Amino acid sequence: METNEEKDIENILLAYGERVRFKQQLQAIQAGADMNAMRQDAKSYRSESTGAVRSLWQMYRTTLAVAASAAIITTFGSIFLYQTYQQSHKQEQQYSLLSKEIQAVKSSQRQLLNDYNGRGRGLSTNPAQVAGTGFLLTGDGYFVTNNHIVRDADSVYVQSTKGEVYKARVVYTDQSHDLAFLQLCDDNAFRTMPTVPYSFDARPSDLGERVYTLGYPREEIVYGEGYLSSGTGYRGDSTAYQVAIGVNPGNSGGPLLDEKGNVIGIISGKQTTSEGVSFAVKTNYLLEALNNIPVDSLKGQPLKLNRRNTLANLSRKQQIKRMQDYVYQVKVFKHKD
Amino acid sequence: MKESRSPILTDEELLMGLAEGTDDALTHLYRRYFPMVLHFVTTNSGNEDDAKDIYQEALIVLYEKVRNGSLELHCQLKTYLYSVGRRLWLKQLAQRSRFMVRDVETPASDEFVAGQIDEDLSVHEERDRQFDLMADSLTRLGEPCRTLLDDFYIQHLSMQEITEKFGYTNTDNAKTQKYKCLMRLKRLFFTEYKA
Repeated sequence: METNEEKDIENILLAYGERVRFKQQLQAIQAGADMNAMRQDAKSYRSESTGAVRSLWQMYRTTLAVAASAAIITTFGSIFLYQTYQQSHKQEQQYSLLSKEIQAVKSSQRQLLNDYNGRGRGLSTNPAQVAGTGFLLTGDGYFVTNNHIVRDADSVYVQSTKGEVYKARVVYTDQSHDLAFLQLCDDNAFRTMPTVPYSFDARPSDLGERVYTLGYPREEIVYGEGYLSSGTGYRGDSTAYQVAIGVNPGNSGGPLLDEKGNVIGIISGKQTTSEGVSFAVKTNYLLEALNNIPVDSLKGQPLKLNRRNTLANLSRKQQIKRMQDYVYQVKVFKHKD
Repeated sequence: MKESRSPILTDEELLMGLAEGTDDALTHLYRRYFPMVLHFVTTNSGNEDDAKDIYQEALIVLYEKVRNGSLELHCQLKTYLYSVGRRLWLKQLAQRSRFMVRDVETPASDEFVAGQIDEDLSVHEERDRQFDLMADSLTRLGEPCRTLLDDFYIQHLSMQEITEKFGYTNTDNAKTQKYKCLMRLKRLFFTEYKA
């Protein structure tokens, strides 16, 4: 402490000396400066900005004041109006991705009952950080979900309605359309399933089309129905549909099916400011993305989509019963950083 | 109104010159930006002497920042000097209970830069307070201590020169005297400064 103060006082004294010296130097410079030239400069400064204006100013002061206040009122008035207009039409940050951040997953009873080989236990003790939905493209294990769910994933698992868990490999992602393709057959436990019952319809669907979806906003599969409300998505995005359907975080990546059981899109997000405004990527872009998958990512197993729809003549309940085995919950583990 | 100056120094070069404390850099700084401050102060109920004081203080702020290496300029040097000068003059006007000024330049409007200038000025004020107190403490110290410390720390005379000037028998003796004086100054200064 003592020595500190000693150093301090020396430093302050030195700095003080420096200040004194610098002031003297400035004083000298100032004295030697050509004040007349600088006064001239300062004056020209004046004439640049005011000069001739000044006399006018004196003359028209009142008129100007009135005009200025009118201008101010108009300006702020329009800004205010514009802002209210903007607020009512504000779309920024109203698009929310529907992946679910899981704090703690409660393992359902069903999951435990079906946990024959203990594979499910790993998940229940180590809950995933992000969850969404996804569904099979083919019976042999190609699978699609949203890119925003599996982004930055360390590992991806999918879990069926029966509680079976498989590890999945990300084959290809298409960021622009928010699509990700996974493959389940990397996991030996996955047995090839019968061909998927639904087909994929790339033709644009009509407004008012009755649609439904299956997804996992919670640990249980949840059905939701609605109708196609617009042929374009968020902010006129032509690659998506707007759908009037109630979806929640966790629904992302779920299939959007029409009456006949054709997949017409993939649920990808919703508008936060209004209820029941959801968006789905059109199947068309799903197919497009499929064509972009490099052949070697497929490891020699070609990806052939089902063309025959076996759901068309079934009742909705039957459709769902057949479908639900092909819709999985996607659980994603991320590196915590 | 761009007069031909030779050579035309950039802000960078001016600041380097300022760090070295060359007369040349200072002359340039005066010639280039003083008219701006002069105009500002005189259009806002000040006179030439006020402007000189304000500009001097602004340069001191700049100089001391340059010297201790803490200067990070996020705007033009011109804007910095104008903004600092403007604040300083506003403070003076506030003491004369006048709060409005007419700008002749655009002061730094960027929030970050404005915040930085605020900070620079509060550091400067604190330092002013310190230096005022230091001047006061030195006066109260009395002779010969005041001159001895002044010679050593401010005039940077060598111990040898001081020994001769004050007629001490040897430099060790002078050093002891200097140390004693410094301790007295320390007491005077810190009792005030901390209070």
